[in-house]
Amino acid sequence: MLTPKERLKMILEGRQADRPACICPGGMMNMVTSELMDRVKVYMPEAHTDARQMAKLAKAVYEEGCFENYGVPFCMTVEAEEMGAKVDMGTNVYEPHVTGYVIDSVSEVSKLKPVDLAAGRAKVVLDAIRILKKETADVPIVGNLTGPISTAGSVMEPVTFYKELRKKNQEAHRYMEFITEQLIAFGRAQIEAGADLIAVSDPSGTGEILGPKYFKEFAVTYINRLLDALQEEKMGTIVHICGQMSPVYKEVNEVKSSALSFDSIVPMKEAREHLKDRVLMGNVSTYALEFGDPERVKMLTRSCVKSGSDIISPACGLGMKSPLGNVQAILAGLTEEEECRRGQDQ
Amino acid sequence: MKSKEELLKKLSDCVFEMEDEEVVDVVREYIECVYDPQEGMLGGLVDGMKRASELYEEGEYFVPELIVCSDAMYAGIEEFQKYLPESEHTSIGRVAIGVVEGDTHDIGKNLVRIMLETGGFDVYDLGRDVPVERFVDYVRENDVDILCMSSLMTTTMPGMGAVIERLKEEGLRDKVKIMVGGAPVSPAFAERIGADGYTKSAIEAVAFAKKIIVAA
Repeated sequence: MLTPKERLKMILEGRQADRPACICPGGMMNMVTSELMDRVKVYMPEAHTDARQMAKLAKAVYEEGCFENYGVPFCMTVEAEEMGAKVDMGTNVYEPHVTGYVIDSVSEVSKLKPVDLAAGRAKVVLDAIRILKKETADVPIVGNLTGPISTAGSVMEPVTFYKELRKKNQEAHRYMEFITEQLIAFGRAQIEAGADLIAVSDPSGTGEILGPKYFKEFAVTYINRLLDALQEEKMGTIVHICGQMSPVYKEVNEVKSSALSFDSIVPMKEAREHLKDRVLMGNVSTYALEFGDPERVKMLTRSCVKSGSDIISPACGLGMKSPLGNVQAILAGLTEEEECRRGQDQ
Repeated sequence: MKSKEELLKKLSDCVFEMEDEEVVDVVREYIECVYDPQEGMLGGLVDGMKRASELYEEGEYFVPELIVCSDAMYAGIEEFQKYLPESEHTSIGRVAIGVVEGDTHDIGKNLVRIMLETGGFDVYDLGRDVPVERFVDYVRENDVDILCMSSLMTTTMPGMGAVIERLKEEGLRDKVKIMVGGAPVSPAFAERIGADGYTKSAIEAVAFAKKIIVAA
């Protein structure tokens, strides 16, 4: 039997494993539910600011049979907060979210402070990764980064930001360079702390929002710059992009991550056809995971596998009220399939 | 003196071609010719925004383009309003719109607001990260035809259901039509929480809003 780490490594390298992996990275792809928090008596928002609690909750995700990975943090506000944005830490059901921007225009980039990795929540995340690294062995640790466009739109008003991609194009690039440098520093520190993979989610940088031209000019360019700057020795990278891919399949294929992840609006079959040689991750309906039942989740899981997904994952993370039984049904479905196949082979 | 048609076309083009500074000069030129301001707004500015939204639907324009177009439209409208008597305001319906609690993602909501305003609705923007009770209070205290809610996060989606439940408890549910939207939202979810409808784009939202307001 492969360990979860060995399996994921093989898949990310494009090799044939015994079965698809089953992970949920964290970050934007939320993998914590109310029921899970009750099981281990660790709760948000405390888990966002305390490395020990963060690590404990991340461990529970694997130990309770939900997913075959650990992942931190549980939100996408760390980077923006460390650059000066005001963040509401949320509650036990709402994630932290930005409530106050730092600058009014891309031209004010010099007013931003660089992320201090030795302080604040950046340090909490790095400490949590160190704890996970020290106390666990066979399960991959995912460090999460907020994508360049989404981070850019968390430090200033996104409407203005999108507008200035057009109206202040050169300054927008300088702003994106600064943002990307901060993400690189945080990502490299996560790998040094012990993260096996880096997952980048960029929900505000979709082809649907930006259109093919700006998607390529801003999203792909800076995601790739970030990926290129991460250390070689990591196991791999995952990039999650929200929304329809049909306008931008060509551009998406230029993203140099080991795996690409999509939300449930993208039919896995269609993605597979357009991205033949890529490792694909996704996309069991988040809605079905919250409101469906285990049988339906297993069916959707089988369908993802059949359509060509290499890593099975909830499409957009989990709703907080998703029943544990439904969440566990993804992995249960995969292992049942595998046992069934082995039985036939013998 | 330029003809009215020529200036209307120019107003429309300013919006369509994202000339958010030039548009104000054209509005002044139009006003100096003593043409009807109302017609200038609808036949000029709003017409340009409609053309922009057509290109958006066809996948030629995207969010950055739409935002700059709408900036031009609003800049023009603001200039026109200096010359408009208050009473001449026409509206086909009143809408309140907001992003639910816990969620600060409001690009989609802003687009829907712009499109509804372009479509002739009066829109009150409750903003983002709006607590359940704020929606309920607004519906109770104001004359609203349609309540629009959105969320971009799976974790905040249930807030829309919570608002609908509270409206029911307060006996206010039948006072308004309710539309929901946002990336993780699906028609099945909308039905489950008891909304009147779900639309997947800002353009569809306008068509749907017009439909339910006629039915009401």
